[in-house]
Amino acid sequence: MTGFSILKMTLKMVLIFVVLLLVVGPLVGIVLWSFARIWYWPSPVPQEFTLRYWAEVFRQGRVLSSLILSLRIALITVGLSISVAIPAAYAFARYRLPAESVLLFLFLMPQAFPQLPVFINLARVFGKIGLRGNPWGIILAHTMASLVFSLWIITATFKSIPLDLEQAAQNLGASRFRAFWTITFPLGIPGIVAGAIHVFLWSMGEFNAAFFIGAPFIQTAPVLMYTASAGYNMQIASVIAIVLMVPSLLFMLVIEKFLKAEYIAGIGG
Amino acid sequence: MRRKKELMVGFLLILPALVVLVALYVYPLALSVYMSFVAQGRFSLANYLKVFEIYWRDIIYSVVISLVATAVTLGLSIGVSGYLRFKSWKFLEIMYKLPLFIPFLIVGHAMRVFLAPHGTLNNLLTRILRIEELPGLSRSWIGLVWAFVWVMTPYAALIVFGAFRSLDNAYIEAAQNLGASRWKIVFDVLIPMCRPSIMVAFILTFVRTISSLTIPIMVGPASPNMITVNMMFRVNYFNDWGTANALGVISYLIVMVFAIYYLKFMAAERGGIKA
Repeated sequence: MTGFSILKMTLKMVLIFVVLLLVVGPLVGIVLWSFARIWYWPSPVPQEFTLRYWAEVFRQGRVLSSLILSLRIALITVGLSISVAIPAAYAFARYRLPAESVLLFLFLMPQAFPQLPVFINLARVFGKIGLRGNPWGIILAHTMASLVFSLWIITATFKSIPLDLEQAAQNLGASRFRAFWTITFPLGIPGIVAGAIHVFLWSMGEFNAAFFIGAPFIQTAPVLMYTASAGYNMQIASVIAIVLMVPSLLFMLVIEKFLKAEYIAGIGG
Repeated sequence: MRRKKELMVGFLLILPALVVLVALYVYPLALSVYMSFVAQGRFSLANYLKVFEIYWRDIIYSVVISLVATAVTLGLSIGVSGYLRFKSWKFLEIMYKLPLFIPFLIVGHAMRVFLAPHGTLNNLLTRILRIEELPGLSRSWIGLVWAFVWVMTPYAALIVFGAFRSLDNAYIEAAQNLGASRWKIVFDVLIPMCRPSIMVAFILTFVRTISSLTIPIMVGPASPNMITVNMMFRVNYFNDWGTANALGVISYLIVMVFAIYYLKFMAAERGGIKA
């Protein structure tokens, strides 16, 4: 009996080790690289550690300015995406819509088909009207792509708020807009904030649209990271990767309770 | 009259979103189809002939890689969800979700460091196994599938686990009373009853895999390539939009059947939102 439980414990320890190695292992590698000064095989850790690359990123320079650019693009994208999504989400949640099934099809399509050809052709269109190589081109592309998931997150939020509350307000003489503004909107704020953070993180890490529309003059942080990694500048690439990754991991811990799988399809890319 | 007004207001509310979607998604999408039929300023099938001549291997390769990655992802998702349906294990619950929001580009970079010949994984394995050297998995199809599975599993598992969890306990208890083992319950009760959600997880994983550009550039082998990488080369190095768009249209055709199923299913559920 004891022999059996020792075996079981050992198996569990091995399982925990394997899961940790597979899930966390890839992240450990980039953390080590971000502090490495000299790292030759077969040493398991760098021979010399340095803070130089972290300092380089946060001192004035190309990396810092690309991070600031990404931050600006993401903040404006959040503003646009959310302000377009809120009325549409309210309509999907509460109103009868003309040609409803067509509209649903349209607003779900970006999740069901590959997006890369769309970004490539958007870059072409933007090239003709002067939005290629312009941060606003990237912002517009990000607004479009993030609209799909911000819309569904916020629709789900509005749907979860009981209609009775609005109707009660209307019975007391409030207009429909006033009922929305004083009741549904404030109650929906947690969902709207979750949607906004989601759009923000996605935009910060987005590569495809930023690459085709921004290139070669505009370098967002992911594009710079790609260039650094492709040029085997492992330390700089790893530092940028960690800077972009940490907010996502924090957000995941915070949002864990609210995660609804169906609405986060847009993440990644 | 009242109904007409309601339709009107509803339409006005979604109008801004509709304008964004049509101008920045539907129009470039239609353009990609149109451009795929234009070669040297004339309407022709030349781009498609070129694609089949140069890239037929890459098309098959993309489909096979995506199917393999999706199959492994679904297997893992069902395993994790099946386990967590019966037993709560906080460690596993945190672990399976960890890669969820990490951008694909960063996954590509992290996997390159992890799976390289002298990367983190081999560093550890050579020590444990006490051998000199192991081949690297980055820049191979195994590394590519590995990276895809790593980043797709949390998302697919979230969908599958959500469906498993919302299934009434009564079904499971009934099967248990009849003496079914846990794995039998997973295969004979949970999977058949949650088939639509599993199908959605399959479709979204497959579409995301076959349309990913960053992971194949970072960890894929130099040849054969995923079709997304070929699209990028066509645009960036040859300025050849016709062939790039023909590849794009082929990627739409590959996902077409699944996409239509997904759209119909989600529309029936009103965007997947249950009232």
